[in-house]
Amino acid sequence: MKFIKNHLMFILPLIAILLGIEFFLVFDRTTDSYEKGLKEGYSMLVVTKKPATLSDFKALNIHIDSSKNIKREDIVSDVAKGISKSTTKEILDALPYFYNVGLDSYIHTTGLEKIKSDLEADKNVKKVETFGSSYSSAYKLFAFIKFTLKLFIGFMGIVSLFLIIKQMEIWKYAHKERMQVMEIFGAPLMLRSGVLFKVAILDAFIATLLTSLFFLYIKFQWAATSGIDIMMQKQEELFRMTDIGILLASALLIVIIAVYSVVFSSKGVQE
Amino acid sequence: MSNVINASHLTLAYDNGAKEIIKDANFNIKKGEFVFITGPSGSGKSTLLKALYGQLIPREGNLIVGGLDLANVRQSKLQELRTHMGIIFQDYKLVNEWTVAKNVVLPLMIAGYSVDVQNTQAQRLLKHVKLSEHSDKYPMELSGGEQQRVGVARALAKNPVVILADEPTGNLDDYSSNVIWDLMENACQQLETTVLVVTHKIPTIFSLPYRHLIIESKGVYEVH
Repeated sequence: MKFIKNHLMFILPLIAILLGIEFFLVFDRTTDSYEKGLKEGYSMLVVTKKPATLSDFKALNIHIDSSKNIKREDIVSDVAKGISKSTTKEILDALPYFYNVGLDSYIHTTGLEKIKSDLEADKNVKKVETFGSSYSSAYKLFAFIKFTLKLFIGFMGIVSLFLIIKQMEIWKYAHKERMQVMEIFGAPLMLRSGVLFKVAILDAFIATLLTSLFFLYIKFQWAATSGIDIMMQKQEELFRMTDIGILLASALLIVIIAVYSVVFSSKGVQE
Repeated sequence: MSNVINASHLTLAYDNGAKEIIKDANFNIKKGEFVFITGPSGSGKSTLLKALYGQLIPREGNLIVGGLDLANVRQSKLQELRTHMGIIFQDYKLVNEWTVAKNVVLPLMIAGYSVDVQNTQAQRLLKHVKLSEHSDKYPMELSGGEQQRVGVARALAKNPVVILADEPTGNLDDYSSNVIWDLMENACQQLETTVLVVTHKIPTIFSLPYRHLIIESKGVYEVH
């Protein structure tokens, strides 16, 4: 019972850290695709005196990724009903050229202002409308959610680390007698701490396995049947096989640091 | 015979600012000698023993054990030196979560002997201290005298050059004490092991010739 309790007290905070890491990975992947969606859904309106091509816009700012000409005939068609063809032509000739301009990434509002000023600096550009306020509120909400989640993950990580250190103190006490006796008889550091390493590495594997199983369940059971569109569409993003490697490497790194901290703090302790 | 231990102008203290426990002590111990170190309580007998196995670094002077100056020794060299020592404690210092057999072969385990060798040696050593039937038990299942015999067996496991014993019979009755003295006498006589015993009382029945050092007023003196 004591053995299981000792392991659980180490495995649980380790799982909490691994969950934090995996949530971070999942969140990073899903937000990447969300950012992509926002980017693709966004375009600014540019009005020019003469026709302009994509390369003309790109020459003004490197973040411009696409341009789509808005047909002037479509704009005029609604207001030109019942007007003679010659008058319609006059209106068309008087109208400037309209473009929907897309960007290569989701850019902060200050970056957007820079693009606007770069475009307006060109003599051919008559007007630029960035739709900055709706863009800005979407960006701010997105950035806030991202920050809050990262803060929560960071906080969870710190609390878990404290729990691991606390458990290390218990281990240190439990193994102190054996390690001191071995030290008196000349055992080198690695031999003295061999048992601690074995236990900690075993716990790292168990914690990785449990965390991976939890995310595999989320991916294949819960997400698939949740009925939540985003979960079903982004199912692949929820857990990748490479994540097992990342989790295991993280768990091993944490336990090795933890064990070394115990071993070195026990070193040279007098009986 | 060559000196196994040589102390010159040795001063020992626990902390930098603390008072000295041993001051300007000079003595040497030759190979194969049996030496009792006595003195009043708190005189520094156990402190001297700790210094001899490198658990306390001398504040001043030299303390040479097995050719190594313990006032200035690297950790790796100290570890190696300790593998040639057998150390016996008043409170036995056995590892309670290990079986008796595993406790006995600790020095062999540290030296990297195979499990087969360790098992064979465990049986031989436990037979020597008359504890063969207890090999699979844990220390807490044994009496104090039996636990100390395990401690002696562990100290003898690797045929050490020197045995250091700190009040080895301090917690034992007369019968168990005599068994322990016999075992240490045998080690000294048959294996030419140097034996240093810190004790408050020299046993009345003791067949080997021995030297007697006494610690008084921070000094170490020969008793003739």
